[in-house]
Amino acid sequence: MSVQTAHVRVSHVTKRFGGVTAVDDVSFEVPKGSFATLLGPSGCGKTTTLRMIAGFYDPDQGDIEIAGKRVNDLPAHRRGTAMVFQDYALFPHMTVRDNVAYGLKVAHVSAADRARRVDETLAFVGLGGLGDRWPNQLSGGQQQRVAVARALVIEPQVLLLDEPLSNLDAKLREQLRVEMRTLQRRLGMTFVYVTHDQEEALSLSDWIAVMNAGRVEQAGAPWEIYYHPRTAFLADFVGAVNLVPARVDDLADGTVTVRFGAHTAVVRRPEAPLRTGQDVHLCVRPESFAIALAGSAAGGLALSGTIVRRAFLGDTMRYWVKVDDREWIVDQPDPGGSAALDGPVALSLRPDRVHVIAE
Amino acid sequence: MRSLRREPALLLALLAVAALVLAFIVYPQLNVVLTPGPGGYVQFLQEGTWLVPLRNSVELTLLSTTTAVLLGFVYAYAMVYSNMRWKPFFRLVGILPLLSPPFVVAAAYTLLFGARGIVSYGVFGQSPNIYGLMGVWGVQTIAFFPFAYQLIADALSRSDPRMEQAARNLGAGSWRVFWTVTLPLSRPGLGAAILTTAIYILEDFGNPQLIGGVFYVLPTQAYSLISSFGEYTSAAAVSTILLLLALALYLGKVRLDGGRSFVTISGRASSMPRPPVSPAVSLACFVACLALAGLILLVYGSLVVSALTLRFPNNLQFTTEHFQYVLSGTNGDALRNTLVFSGIAAAFSAVFALFAGWLVQRGQWPGRRVLDLLLILPAAIPGIFFGLGYLTAFNQRWLDFVDRGWLIIIAFIFWNIPVGYQAAVAGLRQIDRSIDEAASSLGASSLRGFREVLLPMLGGSLRVGFVTTFVRAVTTLSLVIFLFTPPTTVATIRIYQLVGDLNWGAATAYTVADIGMAIIALSVFAALARGRIALGAARA
Repeated sequence: MSVQTAHVRVSHVTKRFGGVTAVDDVSFEVPKGSFATLLGPSGCGKTTTLRMIAGFYDPDQGDIEIAGKRVNDLPAHRRGTAMVFQDYALFPHMTVRDNVAYGLKVAHVSAADRARRVDETLAFVGLGGLGDRWPNQLSGGQQQRVAVARALVIEPQVLLLDEPLSNLDAKLREQLRVEMRTLQRRLGMTFVYVTHDQEEALSLSDWIAVMNAGRVEQAGAPWEIYYHPRTAFLADFVGAVNLVPARVDDLADGTVTVRFGAHTAVVRRPEAPLRTGQDVHLCVRPESFAIALAGSAAGGLALSGTIVRRAFLGDTMRYWVKVDDREWIVDQPDPGGSAALDGPVALSLRPDRVHVIAE
Repeated sequence: MRSLRREPALLLALLAVAALVLAFIVYPQLNVVLTPGPGGYVQFLQEGTWLVPLRNSVELTLLSTTTAVLLGFVYAYAMVYSNMRWKPFFRLVGILPLLSPPFVVAAAYTLLFGARGIVSYGVFGQSPNIYGLMGVWGVQTIAFFPFAYQLIADALSRSDPRMEQAARNLGAGSWRVFWTVTLPLSRPGLGAAILTTAIYILEDFGNPQLIGGVFYVLPTQAYSLISSFGEYTSAAAVSTILLLLALALYLGKVRLDGGRSFVTISGRASSMPRPPVSPAVSLACFVACLALAGLILLVYGSLVVSALTLRFPNNLQFTTEHFQYVLSGTNGDALRNTLVFSGIAAAFSAVFALFAGWLVQRGQWPGRRVLDLLLILPAAIPGIFFGLGYLTAFNQRWLDFVDRGWLIIIAFIFWNIPVGYQAAVAGLRQIDRSIDEAASSLGASSLRGFREVLLPMLGGSLRVGFVTTFVRAVTTLSLVIFLFTPPTTVATIRIYQLVGDLNWGAATAYTVADIGMAIIALSVFAALARGRIALGAARA
């Protein structure tokens, strides 16, 4: 991420509310045209950060730049950062058309141009023909699209989205997730997106910053965050995970030998500094296992255990398997019509799927 | 703070509001308090002439509040809890007194029970002396129990019906539920209602002035010190004592209800059904309400009859002579003044209150707590005090070029700010800040967002401010008694003068015309506002 292409830059930004530090020395850069997501549990500072970019809060320290210009002293309405709100914030006393036209009216766009652009944008988000409806006559998904259209139509420098899908049901959320991603690609616009839903973040983003307690814990591509979390918090927050206490037995170039319970394994060495005898955690995703009836041949790292309980999740079957004295979460993809496994099972794990967290 | 530096227009607007508040709320009141000076206060306190009016005010307020609240409570309980018949009728009758000057009760009382009263003299052949504590007590009870009813009904209907459903479900009878669930839950609201009623009674000027006789209370004492003796210093000191009492009651009320100074009466019945009470209780409620509504109708009925008869009660021949007199010449002018002054004041007051409410509720700048306090303050200021403040501050030679009507209009505007202001703050609390932020993220400045996005959503608050200011302006006597000049006489002053002249026919016709005008004006307004009209019941 080079300096030249950073479209939104947040440098050493801190925000306090009374005695609480909501955002604590946060820095990151969002490249032009990318889909960036701030992910974290509620109260982690992600929305506060977004609102500082929008100009609704003033940072106590640090700078915010948009397109290379420091915007700390610009009021919110001069920043060119349109925002899509969690509750959509549609103006209830205006029709859909008037809602979408509002930003253009403020910008003194002529009536003819306004009408054309509003119609285009409404068609673009799939709401052609609904211009004369009132917001309260629309479904949640339609309201969400109006909110997006209203922000897009003014062609903002950066589009800010604050949990825009959280009030929708699961099915619609998934559909709009795809649409949102397609839209962003098509427009090539810089999106900064805030969510607490890790699945949403993983599926949408080019780049994710996971925030916790006012700080960025880790930032990077979705798969980096998912497979190589730097902390136990991250591993746990982003998806289901087995976090297993282990000890470093031996260090080599590119590999590390770890011992957990009665087992030893040689796995990939993480970037973080390690020393022999250090206590670490192993991070293993449930889908990294193969599971079979006991007695079947198992490759890689073999563990044997007993199924304690299971949950059918549709696309996968999730098992809790007791190995020695601890339970592992194991997913069996595409369980098909076959009868669910029960009793003693054999697990196998590829060592390259085991990630060491050195915290 | 930084947002103000970024938007100079917003800063200017804020400074303008602050300047107006300082000029028309703070300065005149401070002027009254400071008029006597330290030496003046010492001398005044030593003279001791304030002791009797103070004792009378306290005594009258305690007695009248007790009885008015008891009657109001019965009416409110019946309206909120019972299943009695005729509720719409009783609701309507209960609103009528809010639309008329409270001192019409004193006028009707004199007509009915005075030396030549239709009941006292006509029925019983007695010519009692109705002046003094007993008379004022009775009149204040009847004049203010409808206010107590509105406030108490509001407090009672705020209690969650589900709590009562739950208590009934657990086996408690309706009486038990009322005493163990409803009353404890609505105690703060009831306390606030009682204190508000007490403030109304403490501050009332018209009734004690008309039938108090030598029973002086603080407002009438302040008035007579000026009108009879030109004693501005003592009048200011007496008014300050009154202000302190009112402020103490008001602070108590704010502690109880957080400063909601208005009740909205929108004509709608309360939403959720409450558990039914027994038919016997409903019947008792019906009888009680019938008696109380009868009292109210007796007051207004006797006014109407007197207005339409040659010489009530001795000569009951029908005539329109009184009304012709009322609508002609200077009388008609005063009626027109009331309409014009009140209309202008209501429009300005509603808009100004809304804008100030927006600045305080949405703004983030130092001193907004202070401005908030100053905008609510007039609710605690007795009309007589407020009027005296304007008299001492603005009755200046260098202001002679300004039409004195404007003085009355400005007094109406700022005396009535609190209701519209609090309606605005309450309305804004209902609107999520993300609406403002959406407007500003689309490029609108804060002022533009307020005008184009929030203002159209705050129609309800605007209407509460407008209607309440209008009604209070039409019905107040105490505020204008120091401010009117012959060409700027208003209806309440004219009625007061006609009663003083014992011209009962004209006085009652004038009262009927004034109330009728208020009702017609409000109906027109309601029609314009497409029926969405709500009245904030607050009065001094």
